[in-house]
Amino acid sequence: MTATAPPAAPARRLRPARLSPLDVLRTGGSGLRSRPARVFLSALGIAIGIAAMIGVVGISTSSTEELDRKLDALGTNLLTVAPGETVGGGEAHLPAEATEMIGDIAPVQSVSAVGLTEARVYRNDRIPAEETGGIGVYAARTDLPATVGARVTGGRWLNTADTAYPAVVLGPDAAAQLGVHAAGPGVQVWLGGRWFTVVGLLAPTELAPELDAAALIGWPAAEQEVGFNGYATTIYTRTEETAVEDVQAVLGATANPQEPTSVEVSRPSDALAAKEATDDALNGLLLGLGAVALLVGGVGVANTMVISVLERRAEIGLRRSLGATRGQIRTQFLCESLLLSALGGIGGVLLGIGVTAGYASYQGWPAVVPLWAMAGGVGATLAIGALAGFYPAVRAARLPPTEALAAR
Amino acid sequence: MTDANGAPATPVLELHGVSKTYADVHALAGADLTVRRGELLAVVGPSGSGKSTLLNIMGTLARPTTGAVRVDGHDIDELTDRELSALRATAIGFVFQQFHLAPGVRALDAVADGLLYSGRPLRRRRRLAEQTLRRVGLGHRLGHEPHQLSGGEKQRVAIARAVAGAPALLLADEPTGALDSRSGAAVMELLHGLHRAGTTVVVITHDREIAAALPREVRLRDGRIETDTADGGGRTGPTRADRPGARDRRALREARP
Repeated sequence: MTATAPPAAPARRLRPARLSPLDVLRTGGSGLRSRPARVFLSALGIAIGIAAMIGVVGISTSSTEELDRKLDALGTNLLTVAPGETVGGGEAHLPAEATEMIGDIAPVQSVSAVGLTEARVYRNDRIPAEETGGIGVYAARTDLPATVGARVTGGRWLNTADTAYPAVVLGPDAAAQLGVHAAGPGVQVWLGGRWFTVVGLLAPTELAPELDAAALIGWPAAEQEVGFNGYATTIYTRTEETAVEDVQAVLGATANPQEPTSVEVSRPSDALAAKEATDDALNGLLLGLGAVALLVGGVGVANTMVISVLERRAEIGLRRSLGATRGQIRTQFLCESLLLSALGGIGGVLLGIGVTAGYASYQGWPAVVPLWAMAGGVGATLAIGALAGFYPAVRAARLPPTEALAAR
Repeated sequence: MTDANGAPATPVLELHGVSKTYADVHALAGADLTVRRGELLAVVGPSGSGKSTLLNIMGTLARPTTGAVRVDGHDIDELTDRELSALRATAIGFVFQQFHLAPGVRALDAVADGLLYSGRPLRRRRRLAEQTLRRVGLGHRLGHEPHQLSGGEKQRVAIARAVAGAPALLLADEPTGALDSRSGAAVMELLHGLHRAGTTVVVITHDREIAAALPREVRLRDGRIETDTADGGGRTGPTRADRPGARDRRALREARP
């Protein structure tokens, strides 16, 4: 009499329907839409971390870009030659004909030289002799500005007519030290025991910063008026861009065939680049801080998701009763976590771009944020979202439907 | 319970010797129950009588400790959790006392979301949801959110969500429990209308008055089925009609106030 099951209806296999990717996104997003304030705050944590990292990378890239542009403008083909020390340890000097010899190297486009004299320069003749202010008096060839890229801001450069006369051009630091604000016939400084007329002032010279604190006088005047020995102490040379390294290799031997090793050859643009590179340590520190912020943001997302799962047990139960599989519940919460972090990531990238643009425009730099940094930022947040959402999603999926429904 | 000669319809739900034990509490002991297609019945009992446990087992949300359960021809003992989910998605509709409508979600979307796991594409879910809402008399509330709806309207949205996919079995757990008597009566009238056109409806309630108004009454006490009016051969559901889906839609039309 007990009811036996009727000849089983041809039992069709039950198979859960797959949700379309769009449905997965909609379901994942539904949990976010109903809690905008919490979503904003936990996405903010992620955004700050990403913004910090994007900002650091962006600012450093922008500064490099600025340097590249500067070097493009200044040229990287300037080489300098200076006497080093002799094998015996004494101070060497370059042979008198060194400048001409370098000028004869085929790819060399221009060559010029300065020679440090022992003269001192003062604001006037009543200043005590020891207060030199660190200004060097140099003999300079008239073709110096063209080779090193120096610019005159006031007055004019030394010309062939006045090189034998007491005329001087001051670098910007030297001018400031001597209290000279303008060049002209009435402006004089006390140099080597006699008055020199300031005929010109220089702008800062990026590739030859030693000229900023220099008083430059004509070569003949130096020899006649202040007892200059006539040996160049720095030779500047511009080379064809493609031959810079070849020329650099032979400069020592060319300048001083007897003692090639006593010659110091350098490329000022390298020094400029190296100076910029010293900021790497600071960048590393800031990147580390950004990473910590990102980690904290990730913990915030995990926390939000755990709370969300606890609060939404009834919803989970309802979805299970509507036919959601455990996998679909897991996917929903994972998707929600990913969306939450992605929101923070995209916000952070935008914020980082804003910070970079602001700082770069303040510095007068071009603003550059590399694409890899943006992609990396969003990618990192997705990884964090997956990690942060994994445990809560698994918990949500494990919840028995009856228990979930009993929650109020 | 003969099924050989002239039984009105095939069973939608069969419970044989079903027991459920939590720790050492027997929430349900040796329950036998057969619900045939097109029936309307009440499972009634005081709190603690095992109603909720029975509902969970009928709805495949929980498995019995012992005994056999067949839902819509599937022996649930043989189904995996995934297959049970699929069964719930297609064959069982739930209505809860506290509605379970998400705040901030429009009625149309709430009902359409009820079909999310049935594999229908979004546009069809929306169309079906709209049709169903119109048929429960909420055509003018499609865009309303729960806080803009009265309790009775909320429960009608929940009923629409449960029946939009034309399930073989509708389980209503205290559907009037959170409503005033007028709204409650309207909700019961809606369930009657669904039944008149052939939907199989099981109402779980502690309210004997509501239970007495239904064609069949199963009384639970202390985890045991005390009486079942079907055993007296009295009230039965309507005869087999056409396809279940068509019947459900007609039911909804009739149920419209």
